[in-house]
Amino acid sequence: MATRRSTRHDGEQGVRFSRTVFIALLVLSCALIAFDRPQSRSDTFARIRAGFTDLTAPVLELAAQPLRAIKNIGPYFRRQGELAQENADLRQQLIEARYWEDLAYRQRDRIEIYEDALNVDTPATQDRIGAWTVADPRGPFVRARLIGRGAQSGIEDGYPVINLYGLVGRVYETGRHSARVLLLTDLNSRIPVMADRSNARAILVGDNSPYPRLEYVGRAPDIQPGDRIVSSGDDGILPRGLPVGEAVATREGGWRVRLYSDQAPIDFVWVWPYRRVTPPDEEVSTDEAGLLDPEEAGPATAEPVAEAAPAGADSGDEEGGATVDPEAQP
Amino acid sequence: MRKPTDRSSIWTSVALCVFTVLLALVTQAAPTRLIDGISVMPTWPLMAIFLWSGLRPHFMPPIVIFAIGLAQDLLTGAPMGVWALSYLVALAVCRFRGEDGMPRDLPPVLLRFGATLLLAHGIAFAAGSFALEQMADLQLLIIELAATMLMFPLLAFLALRNRRPGRSGFIGG
Repeated sequence: MATRRSTRHDGEQGVRFSRTVFIALLVLSCALIAFDRPQSRSDTFARIRAGFTDLTAPVLELAAQPLRAIKNIGPYFRRQGELAQENADLRQQLIEARYWEDLAYRQRDRIEIYEDALNVDTPATQDRIGAWTVADPRGPFVRARLIGRGAQSGIEDGYPVINLYGLVGRVYETGRHSARVLLLTDLNSRIPVMADRSNARAILVGDNSPYPRLEYVGRAPDIQPGDRIVSSGDDGILPRGLPVGEAVATREGGWRVRLYSDQAPIDFVWVWPYRRVTPPDEEVSTDEAGLLDPEEAGPATAEPVAEAAPAGADSGDEEGGATVDPEAQP
Repeated sequence: MRKPTDRSSIWTSVALCVFTVLLALVTQAAPTRLIDGISVMPTWPLMAIFLWSGLRPHFMPPIVIFAIGLAQDLLTGAPMGVWALSYLVALAVCRFRGEDGMPRDLPPVLLRFGATLLLAHGIAFAAGSFALEQMADLQLLIIELAATMLMFPLLAFLALRNRRPGRSGFIGG
């Protein structure tokens, strides 16, 4: 009798757990799990998720402020003894960087001349959208960050996200004032990459470990430990040449990548509003079928750009990767 | 008729409950990796739900537990319903029943929380793997589980310390 009373009354110590409501909520939870799968998420669910993150972003931003203030405490105390050596290294790097700076300016000027000549309209590097990380949930199901900028700032799904050192991931849920970034280490992340030295292609597959796997490298891949891995742009979604990391050989004979972006906490990132330059063969075939929207056609095709690109311009594609899609080459 | 002090005490408890649950959710999503070396995150919302469902059971009906779980799903980017389902089932199975509510002694509370934690993470792993269509990260789940179990005794001690004795009329209850 005592048990019966305690389960049905909501007294000071009684537990009220209505069976009907409980079962209804169980069914609702199961339905949500069944229909909100990342692989087949509907627009409605995506909108609900984006709306919720929009609502919570200001609160999370507020909570992140004190963490940002103390973020360098650990490295500061640890590096006190290494400061002199680090300073000398930085001076040396600065001297070397001068040469690359000059080279970058020359390349930029050259690209601008080509773009003017060919009337190519591509997003410049200055168009990158800076954003702070407001939430960094660490769970067993997804490796993602929430950033405090959204569609209102021009961010869209699929845009690459980079930090000071390299590619971080891609935007996959965009709200008005916030967006979620799928990290390269996430289970669902698949990025086409290549070795900068040999152009050996591979797919970078996240597996929730800090070092994502390189898959589809072939039987005798031309990859060496320490090779610089960059995005290949083969999917047309990411620009070519974004620095990703360094190749690391595993004991099992496979390859993994030590991500450049992990060199520092990912608190501030840039979203790159990259738009794919339509390859001329696709453009023509679509045009012939009468499906091409004249506004989407753009002022230029990539074919002349690819032809006009000077020999050896491959290495200079890192920052100008948005201008020329390697897939456009005939 | 209740005294005004009782009423204010209840409102204080409600405010404290809401605050701690929100704090738990925000902390769960906070970018703690910015602070060098700290990357393991205990399951704060489950601790809050468990303690409040023991201290003030009427604050934690199924709909509130579901809402907290769903909020965690949305905040962490997990498939919707994973944590909501796991919290609901775990609390339904392992919650303190009867007029005693949560005991004042720490060991039985820890034991019950351990069972709740295991069940919740087991269900979350199964449901998450089903939603992702591949195995979820078991290692991280275990680390999270261990971190939660290590962190819980402190919170439980603080929660039980302020509990007034003899409220239920049972010795030690």
